[in-house]
Amino acid sequence: MYDWLLFLHLLAAFMLAVTAVTYSAVALGAFTGGPAIRVADACWNVGGIGTLVLGIWLALYVDGYEVWDGWILGAIALWLVATGTGERARTQLAEGAPGAAPVHWVRTAAVLGLLVLMVWKPGA
Amino acid sequence: MILLAAIRPDDWNLPLFLHILGAMTLVGTLGLVTASLVGAWRGGSVATVRLGFRSLLMAALPAWIVLRVSAEWLVSEENLDEDAPGWVDVGYMTSDTTFLLLIVATVCAGIAARRAARGEGGGGGLNRAVVVLVAISLVAYVVAIWAMATKPS
Repeated sequence: MYDWLLFLHLLAAFMLAVTAVTYSAVALGAFTGGPAIRVADACWNVGGIGTLVLGIWLALYVDGYEVWDGWILGAIALWLVATGTGERARTQLAEGAPGAAPVHWVRTAAVLGLLVLMVWKPGA
Repeated sequence: MILLAAIRPDDWNLPLFLHILGAMTLVGTLGLVTASLVGAWRGGSVATVRLGFRSLLMAALPAWIVLRVSAEWLVSEENLDEDAPGWVDVGYMTSDTTFLLLIVATVCAGIAARRAARGEGGGGGLNRAVVVLVAISLVAYVVAIWAMATKPS
């Protein structure tokens, strides 16, 4: 059970990476085409829900972790930041709005921060 | 058991972070390449063909190097060099094989991008070859992620 939860949690995280890389290309001025953006958005939706639900499930399942551990609460806060900025980046970059790229980089930094918390688990 | 599985020495954190970061960048880039080149062969622009090539050259290959070097660092930290368990072998097999596929895919994508820039078409056959090679690599990486997460044997 633990192994499969971890595998699916990781898989969901890798889907977020597809979105982060695709929108980074857009933010850097590349033309990705419609299909790439649609795939990236789908990955963001599935990966976002997957990381949160499976992450909380893991926290409840593993004896040493609690949902209210500092690093897990921090991860949830970063997930909320990534979700909020991700939605804004999606809309603004699609419209070619000025100032859209910084919003995307905040989202990417939040995803990177999530990875840091997942690896170091400060306080665990 | 589950508690033990979640604990590891602090010394492993940096190479593990770099390993996962490299893997995520690699898989993310291959996802972008696949989606943009599938779009290109359905009548996309020269720009998407060029994006596929540049993504492979400037993101996927460097990410593979980060993944591989950090994997060696981890294997050394965990003293798995001598008698590597099966899941480590899966990692080696996947990374080595897909590196060859990525090299071939990058060369094909480069030729396709050059042809597209000259107005000789978007390199339909080459684009398809790149998509197939990248898709095979993606499937292999999903298997590797499963092996790294579940650590069979």
